[in-house]
Amino acid sequence: MSSGTEHEASPDTLDEPDDVWEVDIEKQIGHDEYDPVGTLSLITVYFLIIAFLWVFMYFVEFLGRGPTVV
Amino acid sequence: MEIHRYEKIWFGVAVLLIVAFIGTVAYGAVGAGIEMVDDDGGTIDPNNLSDHERFGDTGVHQVGDGEFEVNMIAVHPSFIPNDIEIPEGSTVTFYMTASDVTHGFNIAGTNVNSMIIPGQITEITVEFDESGTYGFVCHEYCGSLHHEMEGQIQVVPEDEFGGDA
Amino acid sequence: MGVFAHEYPNEAGIVRAALASSFVALLLGGVMGLIQALHRTGYVQVIDDSTYYTVLTLHGVSLAILFSIFFLVGFFQWAVTDSLDRPSEDIRFTKLWYALMVLGSIMAAVPILGGFIDQTEISADVLFTFYAPLEAHPLFYAGLAVFIIGTWLAGIDWFRSWWAWKQKNRGEKTPLRTFMVLTTMLMWYLASAGVAIAVIFFLLPWQLGLVGGVNPLLTRTLFWFFGHPVVYFWLMPVYMMWYVILPKLAGGRLFSDPLARIVFVLFLVLSVPTGIHHQYVDPGISEGFKFLAMTNTMFLLLPSLLTAFTVVASIEHGARQRGGSGYFRWLTDLPWNRPAFTGMALAALMFAAAGFSGMVNAGMNFNYLVHNTLWIVGHFHLTVGTAVALSFMASTYWFLPKITGHKVFSKRLGLVQVVVWFIGMVFMSNAMHRIGLAGEPRRTADPFYDGVTFETSLGTISELHAQIALGSVLLVVSLLLFAAHILLSWFNFADKDAPTPDTIPPALSGPEHAPAVLENFRLWTAIAIGLILLTYTLPIAAIVSGNGWFGPVTTFIGDTSSFLTGLFHAVFGVIP
Repeated sequence: MSSGTEHEASPDTLDEPDDVWEVDIEKQIGHDEYDPVGTLSLITVYFLIIAFLWVFMYFVEFLGRGPTVV
Repeated sequence: MEIHRYEKIWFGVAVLLIVAFIGTVAYGAVGAGIEMVDDDGGTIDPNNLSDHERFGDTGVHQVGDGEFEVNMIAVHPSFIPNDIEIPEGSTVTFYMTASDVTHGFNIAGTNVNSMIIPGQITEITVEFDESGTYGFVCHEYCGSLHHEMEGQIQVVPEDEFGGDA
Repeated sequence: MGVFAHEYPNEAGIVRAALASSFVALLLGGVMGLIQALHRTGYVQVIDDSTYYTVLTLHGVSLAILFSIFFLVGFFQWAVTDSLDRPSEDIRFTKLWYALMVLGSIMAAVPILGGFIDQTEISADVLFTFYAPLEAHPLFYAGLAVFIIGTWLAGIDWFRSWWAWKQKNRGEKTPLRTFMVLTTMLMWYLASAGVAIAVIFFLLPWQLGLVGGVNPLLTRTLFWFFGHPVVYFWLMPVYMMWYVILPKLAGGRLFSDPLARIVFVLFLVLSVPTGIHHQYVDPGISEGFKFLAMTNTMFLLLPSLLTAFTVVASIEHGARQRGGSGYFRWLTDLPWNRPAFTGMALAALMFAAAGFSGMVNAGMNFNYLVHNTLWIVGHFHLTVGTAVALSFMASTYWFLPKITGHKVFSKRLGLVQVVVWFIGMVFMSNAMHRIGLAGEPRRTADPFYDGVTFETSLGTISELHAQIALGSVLLVVSLLLFAAHILLSWFNFADKDAPTPDTIPPALSGPEHAPAVLENFRLWTAIAIGLILLTYTLPIAAIVSGNGWFGPVTTFIGDTSSFLTGLFHAVFGVIP
């Protein structure tokens, strides 16, 4: 889970500062030092899933059944 | 404007994806020959259906070798006719209109699916290659008994077909 | 800057009122949803089949119109006041538009509720889409019109604030949140014109007997002119939350401010000329117009796909600032213990799935597979029912302290609530999609037919019905938790003050990088209008020349003149 703060130990999180920015930031990362490789990875996975599902749904589920309006 | 390299790549991929989607649908229309319901059926006065050459004479009509026409009126909560028999291998053109409110027509489990709107004639052509019973329902809310609006198409082997209904 | 509720008490009052109205509609609409889900699956039937459609109308109108729009006007009021850092130009005007929206809601609700009472003739069992010639009591249409006029005035209110701000800040870029509000409202003016014209010029005159009839395809087309872009009216505030709040909650910064602006401009330009994709299987509209609507719709995927990247990259930025690393391991370094973050992130995940079913819906001939089946219902319970509703609820946990001045009651309760909603929707929506592929229609009280059977490849229909029922129960449990939690927080049972300055960190690539042309609202509105004319003029001309403005009359010219005479009668009301 999140990068380990003492707040998680409290019975409810009522007294925890609301702002993640106040407690959890280890280092500030600027625009030029940030490459969103994780995003690129996730979105590649998403792309593969929808490309596969599209082909499956159109060519198997849809064109594979009939009758169809001609 | 600075746009990150990864984001530019994704932009390109997204555009390709969109073009591929449109391409697939165009293939379905041209390659697989799927016609859209359109304005070919023409318009009609929903208050005078009985005077109309088609809808004054609802039912199934054989118009050629293996070719049939079905003239159907949707009126809450019925399809007229609601029991259609045709031989296997027929090409059926449905002419459908509504006399009261908007209805829908969907043969369950198939790709035959359209709206029936007062004032418009829905014209769709369907080939029934396999015998069996095809149930159809109204899929647009049309009144308090909407859920009772259904019918059947019996596609029978050619030697069992009894002729015009 | 201090707490919003103390800095701008009058504006905060309007925001609170709008949210309260929204949550009443949410609770009412949600309970109606449970009644329907249990009824149509056959588990518990407390109403007659015919009453189902009254319940369904109430469900659709409360959730799609009242809950969503009341919430977003409250949120927008906060966004404009807070980001421009100036009060409403005239708080009486602000109160006026809110009052009109409430009045319109009550006017529309009365005839719908009349449907439950057998002794009265008053009813509006016409569902959310009110396709003529189905008829509701005129009060229903009039209420909708008043409600929409209220939203138009709200937009004017925000434009006034912006103009006043501009006088003092010449040459500065409009703050991102206000930019998003204004583009959304411009889109909304264009979109809602369709339904306003349908109601004012066609449905009300027809009901009041001023004109002879109605052309059902015309009013239906005008409905969808509004009916599709209205989903962006719900969605664009959510995008604002995802762009502005979510990165901050993750401990990160928005990846690119200019790209966020481009996305909103794309929505303004492309949202409206897409409505015909709801009419792919309608007679009376030629295939060419349908193909054009599909092309616009597919390109409208672009702003959403770009949003997916920007928002995830902004969240990832937060994870990395919190020490996250790796290709996927950073996902564990996000604040999953916070309901506002978790709720919005799960809503966004659901939206990714909804994106796929939406792509299917958009594919012209593909529509034969799914049109008017339960698949569609599964789709929009992922979009408006989760991407929008869950984001609204989750963001409330962050947002409420700003407008009430005190803390939310319990983070843990909030976390349970958003997760239960997610799980409930996974069951319900997945089952709806699959059962829709089997052909089971939407909008049906009793989908058990004598002569029609639905067959599904995996599992059985009754298993899928069970999943729908289970999902709906979980969703209402989540809703009740939410309602209880909001009451506890609103009346400050925890007795804690709102957190101190809670600012939104600047974007990694800031507004100074945005091209100036993005601020040219006139240009984008003109392009949007051009595309609308291109997409709609010919189909509407064809529909009217075929069947008249008011039903079947012979010629276009003759009918146009009868339209003008009808209009004259409606306005002056003297000539018999």
